[in-house]
Amino acid sequence: MTVVIGVLALQGAFIEHVRHVEKCIVENRDFYEKKLSVMTVKDKNQLAQCDALIIPGGESTAMSLIAERTGFYDDLYAFVHNPSKVTWGTCAGLIYISQQLSNEAKLVKTLNLLKVKVKRNAFGRQAQSSTRICDFSNFIPHCNDFPATFIRAPVIEEVLDPEHVQVLYKLDGKDNGGQELIVAAKQKNNILATSFHPELAENDIRFHDWFIREFVLKNYSK
Amino acid sequence: MTGEDFKIKSGLAQMLKGGVIMDVVTPEQAKIAEKSGACAVMALESIPADMRKSGKVCRMSDPKMIKDIMNSVSIPVMAKVRIGHFVEAQIIEALEVDYIDESEVLTPADWTHHIEKDKFKVPFVCGAKDLGEALRRINEGAAMIRTKGEAGTGDVSEAVKHIRRITEEIKACQQLKSEDDIAKVAEEMRVPVSLLKDVLEKGKLPVVNFAAGGVATPADAALLMQLGCDGVFVGSGIFKSSNPVRLATAVVEATTHFDNPSKLLEVSSDLGELMGGVSIESISHASNGVRLSEIGW
Repeated sequence: MTVVIGVLALQGAFIEHVRHVEKCIVENRDFYEKKLSVMTVKDKNQLAQCDALIIPGGESTAMSLIAERTGFYDDLYAFVHNPSKVTWGTCAGLIYISQQLSNEAKLVKTLNLLKVKVKRNAFGRQAQSSTRICDFSNFIPHCNDFPATFIRAPVIEEVLDPEHVQVLYKLDGKDNGGQELIVAAKQKNNILATSFHPELAENDIRFHDWFIREFVLKNYSK
Repeated sequence: MTGEDFKIKSGLAQMLKGGVIMDVVTPEQAKIAEKSGACAVMALESIPADMRKSGKVCRMSDPKMIKDIMNSVSIPVMAKVRIGHFVEAQIIEALEVDYIDESEVLTPADWTHHIEKDKFKVPFVCGAKDLGEALRRINEGAAMIRTKGEAGTGDVSEAVKHIRRITEEIKACQQLKSEDDIAKVAEEMRVPVSLLKDVLEKGKLPVVNFAAGGVATPADAALLMQLGCDGVFVGSGIFKSSNPVRLATAVVEATTHFDNPSKLLEVSSDLGELMGGVSIESISHASNGVRLSEIGW
């Protein structure tokens, strides 16, 4: 059986995720214990073929409104709340899967999955976007120099369920409201969220490879 | 300007892909655009259809008006500056707008030079009608390209012409056999050989390429997406129609489901009266008109 990774393609940088997963499959297939494939997902028939779903960066407002209007919201909700499925949200995807938004929440109906409180555009506007070299070696072996690109990025300012949500990485300092700057977290072993864009790291598939090994394949073999 | 800096600029354009960017002239219109699912708005004082009629010099919008729009929505806000007017760009950058459009829709401030965009931290989008023009803008630092099309007309044919031309020129250049031939074309286009080679290798522009200029219906948006554009700008079309909310929503959905005819049928039905528009054939020097494809070089 092939394990299928879907990338939500309602709006945003979904092709970049597809390319990174494809590159993982080509370069690391001998190290994966299962055969993998990747596809874009725009409707429930496509979603039904998937074992995992990546929700990409883009505009969370646009994604949320499109999903709701086309009647796709309920299918997405059921998928991500199914414990046998794996979900990873990046940037807008993080906003879309979180339980609470502390600002600009009016037009976004989230999937109410990740038990955290998220602040949208936490650093400010595009002028405050940046790439930071981050040491992720405490959760990705040997990965101590990953170029994490933050674009009008959200942050997790509070974990609402510390028993099930594990903070993977936070930036030094606090935001202007004195809250923490958590930028990567996981919930149980099947939900991952990052406020930055590993799919924009050119020719660097370490993050996607780790996601495939630690989430997609482990969850599938259970 | 380092590679990492450019990645942050082009990265925002990547996040806009598959989306619709709408022209708005008031905070109320911006809110309608956001609520209909636009991925960004272009803040301007007057929409192209009205600018064209006015015959006046069109400049950057009042920063206060842009600021009001920035404060009214959570999605990215873009603003236009005149071609070559790097001071208008400095002012808009200081305002912390998310993207600047160096636009032929406004009256050019410099008939020889475009803005040196790589000197700015704010990213720029520029219009192009062919491959050479797109690459000249990218070489100056544009992080996003859009077709010029013919803004303010509701006639999609120029946008179609421009995206087709870029695609065909890339294909034609890929047939070039020798290094000398490629170098010659690069010289004609007035761009570095390395930039042209990169495009020929990838088979596409190195930055996101949106459709713009004359998009008036969901079918227009889907047409340009099927021709290979990454997303769509809609200007006058939306707020010149009888039911802007419904049309805006329909264009957003058509852009997502551009390759699904049954979905397109659904969103194309019962939209009310669309923008009347002006056909491109009616704009000629004889009638004292100028086509936008003739502005910018």
